[in-house]
Order: sequence, then C-alpha cells, then structure tokens
Amino acid sequence: MSSPRDAIRLNHVSKAFAGRWAVRDLSFSVPRGSIFGLLGPNGAGKTTTLRMVMDILAPDEGSIEILGEPAGPSLRDRIGYMPEERGLYPRMVLEEQLLFMAEIKGANRAEAVRRLPSWLDRMGLGERRRSKVNELSKGMQQKAQFIATVLHDPDVLILDEPMSGLDPVGTDVMRGALLEMSREGKTLILSSHQMETVERLCDGIALIHRGEKLLDGAVSEVKRRYGKNTLVLAYEGDGAFIAGLDGVAKVTDFGRHVEVRMADGADPQTLLREAAARLRVSRFEIVEPSLHEIFVEQVTAHGGSAAA
Amino acid sequence: MSRLWPVVRREYLERVRSKAFVIGTILGPALMAAFTVLPGLVMAKQRGKPLRIAVLDASGSLRGPVEAALGDRKTGGDHRFVVEDAGTGPVDEIRTRLRQRVLDGSLDGYLYLPPDALQASVAEYHGKNVSNVMDLGLLDKAVEDALIGRRLAVQGLPADKLKDVMRRLDLRRMRVSASGEREDRGGSFFLSMILMMILYTTVAMWGAALMNGVIEEKANRVVEVVVSSVSPTRLFAGKLLGVGAAGLTQFLVWAGFMAGLALFGGAAFLGGQIPEVSPLVLVLFVVYFLLGYFLYGALYAAVGAAVNSQQEAQSLVFPVMLPLIAGVMLFPAVLNSPDSVLSTTLSLIPFWTPILMFLRVSALTPPTWQIVLSIVLTLATILVLNWAAARVYRVGILMYGKRPTFPEILRWVRTP
Repeated sequence: MSSPRDAIRLNHVSKAFAGRWAVRDLSFSVPRGSIFGLLGPNGAGKTTTLRMVMDILAPDEGSIEILGEPAGPSLRDRIGYMPEERGLYPRMVLEEQLLFMAEIKGANRAEAVRRLPSWLDRMGLGERRRSKVNELSKGMQQKAQFIATVLHDPDVLILDEPMSGLDPVGTDVMRGALLEMSREGKTLILSSHQMETVERLCDGIALIHRGEKLLDGAVSEVKRRYGKNTLVLAYEGDGAFIAGLDGVAKVTDFGRHVEVRMADGADPQTLLREAAARLRVSRFEIVEPSLHEIFVEQVTAHGGSAAA
Repeated sequence: MSRLWPVVRREYLERVRSKAFVIGTILGPALMAAFTVLPGLVMAKQRGKPLRIAVLDASGSLRGPVEAALGDRKTGGDHRFVVEDAGTGPVDEIRTRLRQRVLDGSLDGYLYLPPDALQASVAEYHGKNVSNVMDLGLLDKAVEDALIGRRLAVQGLPADKLKDVMRRLDLRRMRVSASGEREDRGGSFFLSMILMMILYTTVAMWGAALMNGVIEEKANRVVEVVVSSVSPTRLFAGKLLGVGAAGLTQFLVWAGFMAGLALFGGAAFLGGQIPEVSPLVLVLFVVYFLLGYFLYGALYAAVGAAVNSQQEAQSLVFPVMLPLIAGVMLFPAVLNSPDSVLSTTLSLIPFWTPILMFLRVSALTPPTWQIVLSIVLTLATILVLNWAAARVYRVGILMYGKRPTFPEILRWVRTP
C-alpha cells in the first residue's frame, strides 16, 4: 500500500475518548514535499488527528504511515511538531530553550547553535535571544515556537494552527517560511480555521467534521469538483432581492461584493440580466467557489454550526 | 541515553541558577551558624551586667550566709550578684520599700526568706524578670548551698570542713567512637536534631520543587512538545535526576561547610564545644538525603502529574508528606534509646529510614549490617515507587480537566 510518493498516510484511523468518537474512519494521504491543510470546525478532531500522527496518542483502529514507516518513536526525530497550545518554558532564556528543544530531537548541539541565529533573525527575534519567554509578546512566542519546531531540520512538519495570533506582518513571515520549507522538499501538514491562509498555502486539503472526513483532495481539484456555478457580483444599490431570484441557491455577503452560488443547472446569465436591470453592476465574474464557501456549505449540510 | 542528558542538564541548570537556590545554599549555612552561635554570644554579653539583689530575711539567722553565698557566685570570673542592703525595720515595711525599688529599677529583685526557711527549705525571689533561667539557677544553687551549710553547722560540722563536704559532682559525658573519646556537653543531641531537621526540610523541599516543575510543564503545555521528542518515562527519569543533582549540589556545599566547621570550628559554637561530625555521618547524611529524595520525589512527581495546578496539589500532597512528618515526630523515641528494638525496627522501614536511621547513625553508630540493610530496603522501595510513579506520570501529563481520584490514579499504574 505504501507509496514512496506519500510522506504521510492515514488508513481508516479511529480514536474514541470515553466512548465518543473523536476521529472516525479517517483516511487521507499527503504527498512528499506538499503542504496539506486539515480543516474543520472546532472540535472536529483536527488536534486529535495530529496527535496521532505525532504518536502522542495511539489510534484505536487503523494505521498511520510516515515516510513509509508505521508511526512510532523511531520517527520522532524526523518530525517537527507545533501544538495548538503553545508550549515553552516561561522562565527559560529563549536561546537555551530552542537549543534544548532541538537537542531532545536528537540534533547535534553545535549544528543547532550554528543554525539558530539565522532563524532568530528571520523571525525578528535576533535581539530577544537572551530574553525569557514570558517577556515576549504572544506573536513572538508563536514565532519562537515555530523555530523550536524546525531547528532540528525535520523532514515532516506538523503544525496545529500555525498562523493564529500573528499580525499581518507575522503572517507573511510565517507563510514565507512555510513555503520555503516546502520548496526544500519537506512535507507540511497544518490545521487551520483561516480558509484564506489555507487556500493560498496548501496544495491539498481534508475537511473533517465530527471526526469524519467530508472531502479531501488537491485544492484545485476540490474546487473544480464544485463546478463553475459560483459567481462574484459587485454593485451599487440594494441587492437584497438577489437571494430570492430563481436559480440562486445561496448568497454570501462579503461587504464589497457578494458571492452567489447557483442551483444546479441554473444559468448565471439570467441572474446577470436581472441584476443589470435593477442595480449598477461594477463586477460580474464566474469563479471557482472559495474554500470558505465550500467549508461552510459542507459543514452546515452535515448539521453543524460552521464556526470557522 | 543521549536524550536523557539534555533533560537532566536543563533541569539541573534551571534549579542551580535560580535565586532561591543560591540564597538557600549559601545563606542557609550562614543562617544556621547565626542561629546556633548568636544566642550563645548574646547570653554571654548579657551576663556582663550583674544582678542587684537585696535579701529580706524573716527567719533572722540566714541573711549573713545567703548574702555571702550570693556574693561569692561568679561566672566567667565576674561576680554575678551585687548584694544591696535591704535596710531595717518591720518585715512588711521593708518588703514595700523593696518592691518600690524593683519597680523604679534601682534593684533587679529581692530574695524573701520566710521564718521557716531553714526547716522547710523554701524561699521566694521577687523581680521584674523571672525568666532569666541561667541567673535564677545560679541563685537557686547559692541559696541552697547557704541553707545546707547552715544546717550542717547546726549539726556541728566545723565551718572549714564545709567546702569539702559540699563539693559538687562534675559528670563529664564522654562520647565513645572509633576515633577515640571526646567530651560532649549536649552538643551531639542538638547536632542530631539539626541534621535531622535539615534532612526533613530538604527532602520535602526538593520533592515539592520536582512536583512544581511537573505541574508547570503541564500547565504551560510544554510537556506536549517535549513528549513528542522524548518518551514520558525518559522525561520523568530526566527530571528526577536533574532536580536530584541540584539537591545533591546543595548538600555537598552544606556537608563541606560542616566539615570545615568541624576542622576549624568557631569557638562560640555550642558553648565552645563542637560536637564531632565523623566522616561516616557526613557521608550518610548525603546518602540518606538522596534516598529520601528519590523515595518521596517519586510520590511528589506522581502527584504533580495527576493535578492541573498547585492549588489542586495541596490536598493530594498531604498523604505524601504524612509518613515524612510521622518520621520526624518519632524522633524523641528513637533518640532516647537509639538501640532499642523499636528504634531499630522503625529505622528499617523505608519511608522512615532517611530520617530515623540517620538519626541513629548520628546518635551512635548502629551495626553496619543495619545501615546496609536500610539502604538496600529503601533502594528496593525506590525502584517500585518510581516504576509506579513513572506510569502515573505517563498518563497524567496529557490529562487535563477534573483532578483524578485516588482509585483512578491506581488504575493508571495498572494500565500497561
């Protein structure tokens, strides 16, 4: 079954806590060198899944393969893990902390010492290297946690909500770092609520809800599967009537524009004619649906509140 | 083993670099020395000023001898009492006058000898301060000597023979040990007690330090990152060893300090006599600290893993400390008869060995086989407890939410 192309492979993995399924019959695979997004509303089982990949938790059923081997202690050193709840020793000096984290991953200390300065500079922490962690801002701690994840030069990165708590500049820095890791041939799997981030970053996704997979695949393919029945409309005037038109399945208001999802078989051109007659249309475009749209639709369709 | 080392080193350095450690280690012995030496120095200083005393004699025949006896008393070459004239007149009148003088401070106190003082052997001391134990002891002796001398004179003993008859016994306590005999003026009792209290305090302190480290790691979620790199069992071992090494460092500094004191000693220490601290006692002091730390440390670490916060730990930590506290409370029984069957038995129970066996070692040297047996038994207990604690730790560190009950914790031990 194991394909050398795939860095991570989950085969029908299930995990229950106190009789409740946290993850149920979950399968997906992540090709080497790609960035994979694990999406889902709160409590969907994302963190549990990542913990199983990390071998912190053992699956009740199914199997997990990483780099062609079954998940286990022998792989720990080749994986970098950034948990959702940040974990750094608050009273420890940043530099020593990061070296410690690399060392317990089996990194050579001298090697880690050599690599550390460029990472600190890149994350804008160069001047804070002697600071204690509890003296750093939340965003800085986040970046420090990321350095702790990559300093031992792992082949696989597992990142639970890597962007949360970062300002726009920090987000760009982080995105740049993630893309570079991917270019270097490392495999990244990340969980996120931020659809825009995922959309711009990930090659493939899996959407899970209540522990079960709703869909997965390459981002482009997932979007294509949803077809060309989404259109973006920008206009002046009161567009409230659009939702009531024939053939309109759903309208999502983004403020400056609306995203309209047409019912199957409906012709977007009828909508354009109607809108042009009653509004000043400044933009009309047939697009692929955004991941946000797919996410909300899928989750609501499966009876959950989509608190993305 | 390579993964163990960074954990041990981190734990060790974090502890040793902390202010609390530096203060405790360096200032600890200084404070200890201050507490033992200072009271002696202060008392010696106070002794410089003799007490002004008047003698009010209602019996009519004792004033002379009592005043003479008081005047004779010396400590460190100085007269201890200055006898002031009580004046003359009716007893009640003199008493009122003396009380006034005590109140206005021109007199420290007066001695009242009732009419039947000689027969009943009674007297009263009236003073503003009646808690100056040493001086009143001296006064007691002086008056007693005067009364006995008076009675002997009544029986017909010539005054010049009095001194020979009244010679006091000087019981010198000689402590026998392998390195020879040495006089002991009560110092070794205090030393045993002080060393035992240090053992108790440090075992509890370093155990709590270990526990708080576990709680902190869990509360900050660091543990999740760390166990994605090191197995929980190894992390547990690393923490136990690292914190233990810091404790050992502190102990070696202290043991060195005591050895230095024994070699070069301060003259003021316990009345100019430093009790002997043999090398064996020093070595076993360190050994029993380590045994105590690893035994109780396992329990403290398990408690730390089971709870979410230090507040939650309070209620679970008490049962852990109970045997330790009980051991300290048993110390008078053991120190009184270190060789009794009871003392031997108690000191061989692993939970009490670090405290009580050490107490016996410091009070007298128990047979070697008992020392060896106590160490072997404690080591075996340490192995079992740490095995169980590591299992509790493994489950507990990733458990958040409600504090587990005791049966639940036991179940964690049994899960493979």
